Amino acid sequence: MSAVFVTGLSKSYGLLRVLQDIHLPIDSGGFTVLLGPSGCGKSTLLNAIAGLEDIESGMIEIDGTDVTQREPSKRGIAMVFQSYALYPTMSVRKNLSFGLRVRSVPRPEIARRVGWAAKLLQIDELLDRKPSQLSGGQRQRVAIGRALVQNAKVFLFDEPLSNLDAKLRTEMRVELKRLHQELGVTIVYVTHDQIEAMTLATRIAVMRGGRIEQYAAPDELYEQPATLFVAGFVGSPAMNFLRGRMVGGDRPCVAVGGVNVPLNGYRFRSTPVPGQEVILGIRPEHVVLTSEGSPDGLAEAEALFMEPMGADTLGWFQCGEHRVSARLIPHSARGLTGRVRLALLADHLSLFDPLTEFRR
Amino acid sequence: MTTAQWRDRVGRIGLYTLIVWICLFFSIPLLVVIATSFKTSAEVRTFSIFTLPASPSIASWIKAWSSACTGLKCGGIRVGFWNSVRILLPSVIISVAAGAITGYALSHWRVRGANIIMLLLLLCAFIPYQVILYPLVKMVSTAGIYGSLAGIVAVHVVFGLPVMSLLFRNFYVGLPEELVKAARIDGAGFWRIFAFVMLPLSVNILIVATILQTTGIWNDYLLGLIFAGRDNMPMTVQLNALATTSTGEIEYNVNTAAALLTALPPLLIYFLSGRYFVRGITAGAVKG
Repeated sequence: MSAVFVTGLSKSYGLLRVLQDIHLPIDSGGFTVLLGPSGCGKSTLLNAIAGLEDIESGMIEIDGTDVTQREPSKRGIAMVFQSYALYPTMSVRKNLSFGLRVRSVPRPEIARRVGWAAKLLQIDELLDRKPSQLSGGQRQRVAIGRALVQNAKVFLFDEPLSNLDAKLRTEMRVELKRLHQELGVTIVYVTHDQIEAMTLATRIAVMRGGRIEQYAAPDELYEQPATLFVAGFVGSPAMNFLRGRMVGGDRPCVAVGGVNVPLNGYRFRSTPVPGQEVILGIRPEHVVLTSEGSPDGLAEAEALFMEPMGADTLGWFQCGEHRVSARLIPHSARGLTGRVRLALLADHLSLFDPLTEFRR
Repeated sequence: MTTAQWRDRVGRIGLYTLIVWICLFFSIPLLVVIATSFKTSAEVRTFSIFTLPASPSIASWIKAWSSACTGLKCGGIRVGFWNSVRILLPSVIISVAAGAITGYALSHWRVRGANIIMLLLLLCAFIPYQVILYPLVKMVSTAGIYGSLAGIVAVHVVFGLPVMSLLFRNFYVGLPEELVKAARIDGAGFWRIFAFVMLPLSVNILIVATILQTTGIWNDYLLGLIFAGRDNMPMTVQLNALATTSTGEIEYNVNTAAALLTALPPLLIYFLSGRYFVRGITAGAVKG
C-alpha cells in the first residue's frame, strides 16, 4: 500500500512548466529519494506534497485520503528544511514542542515526546539552548527532532544535509539511515547529491525538467538506467558514452570505432535494427585492462593520465575518437603509459537511442 | 621636523579649523535659542542675542510650561503637551501595529495583487499630503470625526500606514520563508505565526518604527491644526499660537523656552534609543 500517491500533478510558473503530469506512488515505510539537478522540480514536488505550493491539476493522497485541498498542517506530514528553519527566539525545547502546543496536545504527552526525540537524537543536553548557540550538525538534529515529535505519517526532507560540511554530512547520512531503520517511517527525501540518494534510498525518482525520468530501486537505476540522462547523472565517476552502430548477424554486436562489442545476453527493449546508430554506455568499473584473447570487446588505447583515488585509480585512455575512463586497481595503474588493451565487459553495458535518449 | 611632517601638521590644523567653524555655523542658532531662554525679558531687550545670560534663570521655562498665554487662555504650553501625548499614543500604537501586520501579510502570504498594493503604497509614501488635504477634510467630516481626537488619530494612522508597511515588509522579506513554512506545517495560522514567530524577531524594527512615528507625529503641525479641533490642539499648534500672540510685548525668552520644551521629547527619544535605531536600520542590510 502506498503512503503517498501522486497522480497527474502539474504546475507552471507563467510559461515555465515546473511539474508535468507527475505520477508517483510512494511505498509505506520506504525511503524514497527525489533526485535531480537544480531546477528540475524536485523541491516543488515535495512542497506540493506538503501543501506549501498550489498545484494546477492532479491529486495527492496521503495514507489513503485525498489531501489535495488540505492545509499543510492537516495532511499528517512533518518536514525538515534545508536551512533548518528553527524558530530563532525559542529554545530547543520550545522549538520541538511548538507544533504540539499549537495542536493543544496535553502537557505530559508533550514532555514525553520531546524527551523521546531528544534522547533518540542525542540532543537532551541542548534542550535549553537557543538555536544560535548550536553548531550546524546540532541544528540539523533539532530540525529532525521537530519533525519526529509530530507522529506524522510521512516525513519530508528538503535537501537536509546540503548546509553541512563533508564530514558531518557523511555522519548525518548514517544517522538518517539508522533512524529510518529503527522507526520504520515513510520518508520522502529531496537531494541533488546522487551518492546521498544511492546510499539512503529504497527507491529513487530521477527528475529532469519537471518530469520523472526513472523511478526504480538504486541497483536497477545504476545497472539499467532508462535514459541517457539517468545514466550520466547517477554514478561517480560518470559513465562513458561511446558513439557506435548496430551490426546484425546471428550474434548482434555494436561497432565502436574499429571494434565490435558483442551483445550476447543484452536485454533489448526494442528489436535491434542493423546499421542503426546507438550510444553505448559503460561504467568505468566495467572497462578493464586485459591481455590478448579475452572474449569481450577489445580496443587498442593510449594511456593518458591516472587519477589515484585511494581504494582505486581512475585511468583515462584515448581510444580512437573517444576518451574512456576505467576504474583500475592502484598497483596495476601505477606508471601505466603507452599503448594498452582495454576490454569492455559486455554484460554490463547499456545502449541508448541518440535521438530519443531512451534505453534500447 | 621634516618638511613633509610640517606639511602634514598644517593640513591637520586647517582641517580642524574648518570642522570647528562648520560646527559653530550649525549650532549657533540653537545656542542662541538656548541662551535666550535663560535670560530675563530686560536682558533680551537690551543686549545682543549673542551674549550669554548674566544670571541664568529658569523663570521663563516655568512660565512657558504653566502660565504663558495663548489667546485668552493662560495655562502654559503644558495643555498642548498633554494634548500631543493623547494624540501620540494611540496614533503610534495603531499605525505601527497596522504597518507590521500589513508588511507581514505582504511579505509572507500570497495576497492577490500584492505587487499592485506595494506599488500603490510606495506611491502614497511619496505624495506630499498637502495635495490631498481638501478631500481628506471632506472624508473625515463625512465620517463625523472632524475636529476630534478620533479624527486626528485616524488621519495620522492613514498617513503613517504606507511608510510603516514598506518598512515592515522590507524587514520581513529578509526573514527566511522557510520559517513560515515550518510554522504552517506545525499547524500555526496567520495570527499565531505573526505573534509567536515574527514579532519576537521584530524588536529592532519595532523600535525604529516607533521612533519614526513618534517624531513624525509629535512634530506635525499642519494635520494637528486642521483635524484636531479646538480642544485637542497639539503642542506645535499651541507653540505657534503662543509665538504669534500679538498683545503686549513679545517675550522672546518664554517663546524660546516653549520651543525647546516642544522639541525635547523627540530629542530624548533619539538619545535614549539611538543605539537601537542604528542597529534596526542596518539589520538585514548586512547579513543575508
